Amino acid sequence: MIDKRKLDRILKKVEKPARYIGMEINSVNKDLEDKVKFAFCFPDIYDVGMSHMGLHILYNLINEEDDFLCERVFSPWTDMEELMRQEDIPLFTLESKEEVRNFDFLGFTLQYEMSFTNILNILDLARIPLLSRDRGEEDPIIIAGGPCAYNPEPIADFIDVFVIGEGEEIVLELLNKYKEHKANKGDKESFLREILSIKGIYIPKFYKVEYKEDGTIKEMIPLIEEAPKRIEKRMVRNLDEMYSPRKVIVPYIETVHDRIMLELFRGCTRGCRFCQAGMIYRPIREKSPARLLDLAEDLVKSTGYENISLSSLSTCDYSQLQLLVSSLMDRFSEDNVGLSLPSLRLDSFSLDILKEIEKVRKSGLTFAPEAGSQRLRDVINKGVTEEDLITAVSYAFKEGWSRIKLYFMLGLPTETDEDVLGIRDLAYLVKDLFFKRPKEERRGNFSVTASASCFVPKPFTPFQWVKQDTIEEFKRKAHLVKDSIRDKRINFNYHDPELSYVEAVFARGDRRLGKALLKAWEKGCKFDGWSEHFKYDLWLEAFEEAGIDGSFYAHRERDKDEIFPWDFIDIGVSKKFLYREYERALAGETTDDCRIDCKGCGIRDCAMRGVFN
Amino acid sequence: MILRVKFNKKNYLKYIGHLDLLRLFQRSFSRAAIPVKFSEGFNPHPRFSIASPLSLGIESEEEYMDIEMAERIEAEEFIRRMNQVLPKDIQILEAVYPEDKRSISSLITWALYEIRFATKVDMDLDEAKRIINSWLEREEIIISRLRKKGRKRVMKEENIRPLIGHLDVKGKEGDEIVLQALMKVGEGGNLRPFDFINALNEAEELQMDLDSVLIKRQSLYIGDGEEIYRPVK
Ligand code: SF4
Repeated sequence: MIDKRKLDRILKKVEKPARYIGMEINSVNKDLEDKVKFAFCFPDIYDVGMSHMGLHILYNLINEEDDFLCERVFSPWTDMEELMRQEDIPLFTLESKEEVRNFDFLGFTLQYEMSFTNILNILDLARIPLLSRDRGEEDPIIIAGGPCAYNPEPIADFIDVFVIGEGEEIVLELLNKYKEHKANKGDKESFLREILSIKGIYIPKFYKVEYKEDGTIKEMIPLIEEAPKRIEKRMVRNLDEMYSPRKVIVPYIETVHDRIMLELFRGCTRGCRFCQAGMIYRPIREKSPARLLDLAEDLVKSTGYENISLSSLSTCDYSQLQLLVSSLMDRFSEDNVGLSLPSLRLDSFSLDILKEIEKVRKSGLTFAPEAGSQRLRDVINKGVTEEDLITAVSYAFKEGWSRIKLYFMLGLPTETDEDVLGIRDLAYLVKDLFFKRPKEERRGNFSVTASASCFVPKPFTPFQWVKQDTIEEFKRKAHLVKDSIRDKRINFNYHDPELSYVEAVFARGDRRLGKALLKAWEKGCKFDGWSEHFKYDLWLEAFEEAGIDGSFYAHRERDKDEIFPWDFIDIGVSKKFLYREYERALAGETTDDCRIDCKGCGIRDCAMRGVFN
Repeated sequence: MILRVKFNKKNYLKYIGHLDLLRLFQRSFSRAAIPVKFSEGFNPHPRFSIASPLSLGIESEEEYMDIEMAERIEAEEFIRRMNQVLPKDIQILEAVYPEDKRSISSLITWALYEIRFATKVDMDLDEAKRIINSWLEREEIIISRLRKKGRKRVMKEENIRPLIGHLDVKGKEGDEIVLQALMKVGEGGNLRPFDFINALNEAEELQMDLDSVLIKRQSLYIGDGEEIYRPVK
């Protein structure tokens, strides 16, 4: 355990000390003796990490077992880190204030590439050697999972074990193996070899990568016989039978999602071609309304939360949304528990539901057309038309909303200046719709904000072959839009192109990037996802010193048959399907939602083919 | 119908701010199914208020709040249900339905604090007593603090000596000097413990190690003049 008096000295000086104290309602404090100890780390600050549903699932799943325990670790914010280093306090878990390095496992969830430097920083604060090969028997086993683990290679030097797929399917199996292994006094090496037989486990050190002269991958070679050539993702088949917590930790401080997150389903079948989540979480698996109602009941009771958020990739696609919403409202409105929808589809059906549940403030409403022109929306297969936007926005104005936010991406494949200016056109269209309404019917203070992010091509999407726009190109396009808007009620902003560039390098990176990552961290990069902390110049130095050409990863159009660093992972969806979708994109052909009609994406025994057709 | 409640706030939970504490109680009422009255309007809130909110980082043995109940439930029942759902370092100690209809916030006049700190050089107790007592004998102890003046914030000087009821140097435990101080709170004058500490730190000879300061509120009092007493029992 760390020195608590020292901790008290520094907690008085930091912003939001409650980030570091634990002791929340529904947190679990177990005796550390004789348990397999798992430290779960979301490599960002508490306020962000506590809003991650996966944490709550794994935390409770592990803690419900007598022989295991799970405690939490987050990145200390910069003020806390400075004081911890000054007072010589190693990184500790929130529950027992025990040093992280005394745990058996340290598990990271990888939600975004720009958290990679934070992982290194956490290892360092925990006094664990950064490189997997430098760690010994005494050090925890460092594991990682989550969406970025689908291309694990850029951080393969730092992580001992990757879990590919949905963690709740695999973690108990892993911990049970470890328990047996500990009882038999086995060493780390033999444990790692043993778990190679668990489906979904990838251990980088048992593989070697060979490259061609042009820098692309020639082959990935297993170094030992037990190491499988392909790693299949693990997936929960039946969501109703899956473990779902009936209590979740209630933070003292306000977090990003300070409410119950009710997961309606996993997967999404709309088939947007830029979206990685839509591919890696296929197929759609729903929970039944009865199960959801039952879970909600217990969660409200155990947390006292005043709001339930219906969260999923595209919540409005839940097949029985109407029924679910009305039953939840019937059950909870008397207890002053509200509902919210995090993502909206552009149709009046979704708006009707929104209207029903948000009887309160009608301020801002968000839509994501993603691209400015119909042509480009067809390329990315975002099944939204201008007509849909007009209907939805007119309806929203009629119902009393007055502030609209529109989300776009810049740099989508095949994008022309005309497409880019479509962003302006849509913003003006929204404005006209508002002011075309009779004066006496206009309510509120009108504004429209168009936000553009810079497109980052991701692995396991139909766009995994394409090049990213250069930073200069992003800036030129952004200014094209910005300079064409002359109305104070229309705002336009865009995200850091530099940040998106570094993200793109890592998203499709390979093992050779480990060196650059280490250098960047040594130079002081951390919290890269926070634009106020992102230090582009240091990243450039790091790439340079590590001999990495970032453009090779970000700005290179790939050949059809190139072997990608992530090709050894099997997400179920085939590379052939992804390429077919890429070709259709270039031809401007859309692909319908596969709930209506199976598109042969490669998923074996896909339940949806039977259920929804 | 007002239920007046005494509770504590200890250990690490001293790092929970006032708004966070309100949220904790709100959720705890709901978990314990306490029939609290809700405000009207679009965003209904349970009606309760905590007297003289603690600053972040201060422990307390006795805090008070008034809760507007929608239905009467027995005080013991309230305590039992709440303590089941509250964290172990925030617990309800007592609850009564008071006859006096004035709000607890308007009644509180004094607060008693225990203050501990280490000194940067080793100092014996008598020496510390001498320094502190001579500090206290000053006619005026001036601090400057930010005050709201309309929309602006301005620095204002203030003599806090009348706001200190009494100050005892209780002893020395390990390397810590232990004080007990009675300070004014509420509308008739308010001294915040951190302002007190900063003022005491002006007595340079004392060589306080500011990072080591630990403050605990031991009690709140009502009444004025000769007699002060605890709000509940
Ligand atoms: S197998 Fe067919 S129905 Fe299932 S996810 Fe793939 S395309 Fe959709």
